[in-house]
Amino acid sequence: MTLFACGLSHRTAPVELREQLAVDEDKLRELLRDIQATGAVAETVILSTCNRVEVYGVADVAGEARTVAFGHLCRHRGMVPAGLEPYLYMHLDGDAVRHVFRVAASLDSMMVGEPQILGQVKDAFALAQSCETVGPTLHSLFTQAFAVAKRVRTETDIGRHAVSVSFAAVELAKKIFDGLRGRAVLLLGAGKMGELAARQLVEHGAFPIYVVNRTWSRAQELARSLSGSPVPFDELATALGAVDIVITSTGAAAPIVTRPMIGQVMQARGARPLFFIDIAVPRDVEPAVGELADVYCYDIDDLRQVIDANLRERAREADRAEVLVDREVSKFLVRLGDAEVIPTIVSLRERLEAIRSGEVRKALARLPDAPPDTREAMEALSLAIVNKILHAPITKLRESSRAGAGRSWLQLVHELFGLGGRGDKA
Amino acid sequence: MPGLFTLAVIAYVCATGLAFAYLIQREELVYRIGSVVALGGWVLHGLAIVKAGVEMGRPPLGTLSDAVSVAVWVAVGLMMWVERQYGVKVLGAFVLPVVLMLSVSSVARPLGLGPIDRALSSAWLTVHIALALVGIAAFVLNFAGAIMYLLQERQLKGKRPGAVYYRLPALATLDRLTYRTLALGFPFLTTAIILGSLWASTAWGSVFAYDPLALFSFVAWAIYAATLAGRTAAGWRGRRAAYFSIIGFAALVLTLGAGLFLPGRHGS
Repeated sequence: MTLFACGLSHRTAPVELREQLAVDEDKLRELLRDIQATGAVAETVILSTCNRVEVYGVADVAGEARTVAFGHLCRHRGMVPAGLEPYLYMHLDGDAVRHVFRVAASLDSMMVGEPQILGQVKDAFALAQSCETVGPTLHSLFTQAFAVAKRVRTETDIGRHAVSVSFAAVELAKKIFDGLRGRAVLLLGAGKMGELAARQLVEHGAFPIYVVNRTWSRAQELARSLSGSPVPFDELATALGAVDIVITSTGAAAPIVTRPMIGQVMQARGARPLFFIDIAVPRDVEPAVGELADVYCYDIDDLRQVIDANLRERAREADRAEVLVDREVSKFLVRLGDAEVIPTIVSLRERLEAIRSGEVRKALARLPDAPPDTREAMEALSLAIVNKILHAPITKLRESSRAGAGRSWLQLVHELFGLGGRGDKA
Repeated sequence: MPGLFTLAVIAYVCATGLAFAYLIQREELVYRIGSVVALGGWVLHGLAIVKAGVEMGRPPLGTLSDAVSVAVWVAVGLMMWVERQYGVKVLGAFVLPVVLMLSVSSVARPLGLGPIDRALSSAWLTVHIALALVGIAAFVLNFAGAIMYLLQERQLKGKRPGAVYYRLPALATLDRLTYRTLALGFPFLTTAIILGSLWASTAWGSVFAYDPLALFSFVAWAIYAATLAGRTAAGWRGRRAAYFSIIGFAALVLTLGAGLFLPGRHGS
């Protein structure tokens, strides 16, 4: 039996092909049952997202399983299987394990570290479980993949740093203010992105929110939707003195917030920091404002620069995550190997125990007058002999399976001890 | 066989290296090993102090180098506590180098070996020294906080986040740390200086008695007093307060340097 992971993803196939092949949940149920019914696979899980369509499974002949699975997929979507062939990849055994771990940990994602993929993998697994196409191997594989994904998320910062403008603004604010709870925000202008950033700040605890707009009705409207209060445009300078974070996104042609204005505001504020997030193009805040002490002024390009740095940071963290995944893959393979030989070890023990207890019973029947300590001695002697004999083959089995050569040894042990059944029956 | 104190210094050296490695590499394991090594060094150091105290039959504060050694011990303890309390995992990279510098200066004169001026063997004086060293320990942290503040501020002003940006906590946190350590260290330093002056005027008839350490310590005290006054009365924070903390610490280091290397009442 071979573990395999096959399919196509954003790495190999263009988006037109991926969207053509993507399958919804109801169809997936049908597909899982159909594929299982062919008998080509012992276990199956299908993952279908906008970035990948993949089939994971256990089969005697992995190549055949792939042909069957994607044949069914194509038939469902009215496509020609041959057209798909150049885009398909196939990972076997250890590589398949690594692939599943990497997918779940968001290391194979288009945007490395994005958090949705784990949920999608969990859904795919749950769906396969409900269709009863998950056996012991895939069960332990996916359970472990979820654990690895969680470790990657908690032990590396792979998904930590913002890659969107509004979230980057939130993160910067947190680096200045140590938490946003109770930080006052002023939203100047009614740009969509500005509103989004303000909303993010509110979600992270910023309060209260003031909205300034040249059009009073627009200010009122926005303030209502953000649970803030509208402030008349001529009171802008006063409002600037009272808040910690200012988001600007007006359509004004020239800067509204000028250096002399903020110079005055800062004098009244003492050294309380003021953070400008200027999302407007052209800019609403004069660049010179950022030269003032305790004023932090980020325009849209600055935010992009921060996002770029965050992406590099994610890439670094992804390297660390890869190391972690590699370790987990070898650990999992060892366990999988053990799982493969354990049934044989159990039946070997049972077989020898049956022989031992039978022979002891026969011997004792011939010695009806034997005192209790003689009986005990015979039990102990026979047990010791059996355990000594078993020690070497059991150790050898475990070792060979960890070295990846368990199968031939299993066969041998089954034949030598007449255990019956095929050696690789798990 | 190397003494306990030497082992402790070796541990501090290793912990410093690991703290820098963590700052750059950000490997959680490095941080954990570093913490354990620092804790190990701290425990050894503590044992060395106790041992010296037992051997001498009095607190090992008789000479300035002994006292600095104890101050280092308090500073490392404080550092580990602050690290937990504020979640500033990179603190070690900023405190340990200072700790090392101070402990190396006292390695030159091993614990408990300094001859003691008869006039100095007084419980009063032990209190003076004990207070001063708690103050020094707090100011080590204060200095580290100020450095971290300036680094993080540079990152935020420069808009090009580098490795330090991701590791250092928020500006507000760092500002709070420098403020609190200042507020902690200042009363200790003040009381220590008052006690020292009283002692000096009764023992030697003069507050300064041509002692360079005493002179410098007044300078350091004045700088810290100005910083604290600025912070509480004039609402100073951030960069200005950080600069003052650094200048104050420089004066404090000069004070200790003067005591250790210039002839005077505080020297050996």
